Amino acid sequence: EVAYSQSTGQKEQLSRCLQRGIRRVQDLCKVLQLPRVFEETAVSYFQRAVQHSAFHLVSLEKKELLGGCCVFVTCRQHNWPVTMGTICSLLYAKQELFASVYLSLQKELELSVPALSLADLVKTHLNSFRLFQHTDDVPAPFVEDKEKVVARTMQMVELASETWLVTGRHPVPIVTAAAFLSWQSLQPGARLSCTLGRFCKLAGVDLPPPAHLRLKEFLEILLRMASQLAWLRVFKLDKKTVVKHIGDLLQHRIFLLKNAFCQEDGEEQGAEAPSEGSPSSPPAAGGVAQEKGGKRQREGGPRPLLPPCLINPRKRLRTAAPSPSDSAITGDEPISDSEIEQYLRGPEEIRAFSKAKAW
Amino acid sequence: MDADSDVALDILITNVVCVFRTRCHLNLRKIALEGANVIYKRDVGKVLMKLRKPRITATIWSSGKVICTGATSEEEAKFGARRLARSLQKLGFQVIFTDFKVVNVLAVCNMPFEIRLPEFTKNNRPHASYEPELHPAVCYRIKPLRATLQIFSTGSITVTG
Repeated sequence: EVAYSQSTGQKEQLSRCLQRGIRRVQDLCKVLQLPRVFEETAVSYFQRAVQHSAFHLVSLEKKELLGGCCVFVTCRQHNWPVTMGTICSLLYAKQELFASVYLSLQKELELSVPALSLADLVKTHLNSFRLFQHTDDVPAPFVEDKEKVVARTMQMVELASETWLVTGRHPVPIVTAAAFLSWQSLQPGARLSCTLGRFCKLAGVDLPPPAHLRLKEFLEILLRMASQLAWLRVFKLDKKTVVKHIGDLLQHRIFLLKNAFCQEDGEEQGAEAPSEGSPSSPPAAGGVAQEKGGKRQREGGPRPLLPPCLINPRKRLRTAAPSPSDSAITGDEPISDSEIEQYLRGPEEIRAFSKAKAW
Repeated sequence: MDADSDVALDILITNVVCVFRTRCHLNLRKIALEGANVIYKRDVGKVLMKLRKPRITATIWSSGKVICTGATSEEEAKFGARRLARSLQKLGFQVIFTDFKVVNVLAVCNMPFEIRLPEFTKNNRPHASYEPELHPAVCYRIKPLRATLQIFSTGSITVTG
């Protein structure tokens, strides 16, 4: 006698949930136009994840997101730039839930996920912009050559990396703000009057809320750099007019950054020759020290190159330093009745409270 | 930073979470009625009680399990937990203060320098994980100590575990 499960291969069949999930993963890969090898990797991750004890009994909603997370992890491992926002919008998912599933997946399956490359993200993000071809919605002066915009945006994003605008921030608003400034600077005459909101509308992309702040930070950096460029000192530049000179500023950015921002160890400013080929990329691998530039800003002089949150710190409630009496607590002190009385209601108060609450 | 330079770093404990059990059933309605500084969350079946000294918040379940948060040292946490147990005793419950355990300590520390998070993450895999789309800090796990550090670009570090 042979058991039914052995004769029909019942155990080898995939469950309906797993089949649906695999189909979803494959569909996602097709929508994102990913190579075949990505699909195979994502499906294998999904099969592993669904069979893992941490995900086997989760809700269907989470299992749907699990497929998206597997695709996301696969893309990141192959340096294929895709953001969580893209996957969430394709799955109609809440980003918070997606994030929790993604972090669990990374931890339980012990997956190593490399960082998202901003340079690659610039290219994919700008692919979705509708400003590179003549259409009815986009006025002729606003149409621009894609390669020029991409090249300049990459330089702006590198500048952002060097000036602490990228670290700790969501990447998409930075790319959006950089793309806007790059696009404006290529034909400033016709485009200076266009706002960031209108630019995003014309390009057919969402305007991420932090993009306005990133734009403001970019312009502040550019104005400081412009103050060090000899032939721009005679002009009284502001946040509008500095955009016309972005090309020059980016060309000499290493020299200008060195002169516009000071280091704590008191390097000489201004008279230095342009950098002798020191890398424009951020300092030493190891991610270790930059001496703190100090929070003070010298009037009229170069300001320290610090993260913006250190230049303009928000007010913080400071916890009082522990007093000597607090530090003498052992945890086993006797507790008197009078100390406890303050946490109990009196009989009249109880009567009044129960009348008011009517439980 | 030089290996030779002597820079004192202040590590400030900002929160200590502890649990204990009362070994008796607790009537949450009675605690809400007769206790002061109490919030009764009927929908989730718990009561929040706040003490002034030490400044802690206790979450009380009818099973007798109590979680205390807000203390700034382990000793303070124990003192606050005992005070809470005494308050429950005064309300008429047969409380026995048992199974006291500190489950989490949160501390903050500031480095005297900024940190480039992408480079830091690249050089500290697999312990470090950095997802700027989700959180502005690097999450660094030390498995043997069961500790998690949140490292910010400003040099501020939060340690939990």
